[in-house]
Amino acid sequence: MKSSSDPVWRFLAPSFLFVVLFSLYPIIESFRLSFYRMILTLPWLGQKFVGWENYQDLFSDPVALQSLLTSMAFVAVTTPMEVLLGLGMALVLNESFRGRGWLRAIVLVPWAIPTVVASQMWRFIFNDRYGLFNFVLFGDATDRYWAPLAEPGLALLSIMVADIWKTSSFAALIILAGLQGIPRELYEAASIDGAGAWQKFRHITLPLVKPALLLALLFRTIDALKVFDLVFVMTQGGPADATNVLQFYGYKKSFAEGMIGYGSTIAVAVFLLSLILSLIYIRLLGARLLAQERPT
Amino acid sequence: MSLVPCFGLPSLEMKILLAILSLCLSGSTALAQTQLRFVSWRSEAAAVWDQLIAGFESGHPGAKVVREVGPHSSTEFHDLVTQKLRNRDPEMDVFFMDVIWPGEFAAAGWALPLDEYFSVPQQKEFLTAPIEANRYQGRIYGVPLFVDAGMLYFRKDLLAKYRLPPPRTWPALVDQAKLILARERDPYLTGYSAQFKQYEGLVCNMMEFVISNGAALWDEQQLKSTLASGQATQAVRFVRDQIIRTISHRGVLAYQEPESLALFTQGKALFHRNWPYAWEVANDPQRSKVAGHVGVMPLPSFPGHKSVAALGGWQLGISRFSRQPRLAWQFVEYMASHDAQKQIALATGRGPARAALYRDAEVLAKHPHFSARYETFILAEPRPRTPVYLPLSNIMQRYFSSAIAIPDSNIDQLAGVATRDMDRVLDLLRERPRP
Repeated sequence: MKSSSDPVWRFLAPSFLFVVLFSLYPIIESFRLSFYRMILTLPWLGQKFVGWENYQDLFSDPVALQSLLTSMAFVAVTTPMEVLLGLGMALVLNESFRGRGWLRAIVLVPWAIPTVVASQMWRFIFNDRYGLFNFVLFGDATDRYWAPLAEPGLALLSIMVADIWKTSSFAALIILAGLQGIPRELYEAASIDGAGAWQKFRHITLPLVKPALLLALLFRTIDALKVFDLVFVMTQGGPADATNVLQFYGYKKSFAEGMIGYGSTIAVAVFLLSLILSLIYIRLLGARLLAQERPT
Repeated sequence: MSLVPCFGLPSLEMKILLAILSLCLSGSTALAQTQLRFVSWRSEAAAVWDQLIAGFESGHPGAKVVREVGPHSSTEFHDLVTQKLRNRDPEMDVFFMDVIWPGEFAAAGWALPLDEYFSVPQQKEFLTAPIEANRYQGRIYGVPLFVDAGMLYFRKDLLAKYRLPPPRTWPALVDQAKLILARERDPYLTGYSAQFKQYEGLVCNMMEFVISNGAALWDEQQLKSTLASGQATQAVRFVRDQIIRTISHRGVLAYQEPESLALFTQGKALFHRNWPYAWEVANDPQRSKVAGHVGVMPLPSFPGHKSVAALGGWQLGISRFSRQPRLAWQFVEYMASHDAQKQIALATGRGPARAALYRDAEVLAKHPHFSARYETFILAEPRPRTPVYLPLSNIMQRYFSSAIAIPDSNIDQLAGVATRDMDRVLDLLRERPRP
């Protein structure tokens, strides 16, 4: 047992306090509020304990269920795309060639741009009259121009494209770190054994980079589940609620409508959802790492 | 407080420490005068505002107005102001209020009732609609500063070319647009450019159609939604089938004010619905290709009904958590005075809230269209006042957007869902204790 005078505790205390104050306390407070009916604009209703009522409302709220599906669709499309593209970018950036340093910096630019700025840029790109998107596709044939952000069927897809453009390089960064941890000798040995490029990729790169891939997948999944700023800037949840992701719906409930209880319930649902997904990933990830360490 | 002594000290830490110290000290010296904290967005005529504030300060020795500039978007400004109010922040005395907020801020106990300062005869000097918008359960919570109302802009030259009179009814507008679009053969030209994106502006645009067909959004006495009424759904169906499908391109479904105005000033829209500020922009040769060819008039109505404009605009409110409400009121009174409003109106062309300014020779000389605008302003319809306006608005935004953006939407069913959801929110108001 370590005593409290052990210096370890003194070193840990600041970060521990930070986590308690800025993560644990808000999470617990959200949980607590989700059991109350509290509407800021109707103060005479007070803060009434309602048990599971908010959760029952959540499960019977068609808008919430629809936005859950929208969020899930967003995660299901963007994360695999981002990890695949990230893998491709990482493989290129891992090769040595002239100007690699520059290329590495350039690839990171989309990720370094603040999301609000990037979202505004994509909103212009997808504008139906002067957007680059239409000009590239149709040139001067203005009568064929699309309005991606005005079509319920295309708006979500447009936001997905913006997200993939923006965060693939983040996945690339993590995967690149994984690639650099693979010892050169393995490839040299494989070359001597007569393995081709595909065989080296399939039997050396892929198995050894898997933990990094899973890590990238984990980060991107949690982030995609929480997507907010792209929607806020590009569509405000419309048209026809087609881009009303869960996190944006929760924001509208808590901040615009002042429905603190119900808004917290949505926040808790998002939290639990990402917790479950993280646990699944960590299980997979942990198993891999353990499997690697065992044969010593 | 001077930083001179620390220039001799080489260490960076020492400099930072001293800087922090001096900040603390300068904070405490400022307490000698009374600070009045004013939260607004940045005006188009910032110089005039600075002058006015300086004028107030010189008339009130010891008072210092500290401005905090918030975002221009109503939704984001609402986030900022309500954040301060729900934290009971005494560091905000006076703030801008959108015309839809007084009900909410009054019920939440955030805005100070101004009846003891703002007498009924004083109120009578303002336009009626914005005063009504600031009243909640018999008490007044804000002083109107600017008035906005939806108006119809049109291309005078194109209507003249086809010898058409400005349309008085919505069906006439659609017929004229169809005719002109067919003859002009410009694939870029759109018939009606307005704000049909899913956001607050959509409610303004759609309520103008719904109410000008003799329907209403909801019944304020019965606390029941009326969106499923035949006249209301008929108006919504008209927008979907006649406006969006027939004379506009689908891009308008993603437009807020700036995009819809840009289309008009580029000469690519025949009719355009916007707030009064669009007049200055559309007639400025620097910013508009159609300057000089723009007409403006009240919005059309459906045959047999009255024209309706959604009321917009901004008010000054005082926080209930202000430690100096009397000084705050003096500031509000000064900013909303005849002279201050006149200076702002002359500089910006925003509609002032004081009725007399629409007959002021100097103002009319600068903005001759103000007399016509006055007609719209006295007819303008406030969005219903209620502390649950934003939940209701979000339900309506969802309904209107789904109804008009999906070409084969089942409007009756969507209206039924919206009615049910709105009634649930309105039911919350029944639990109110009688005051």
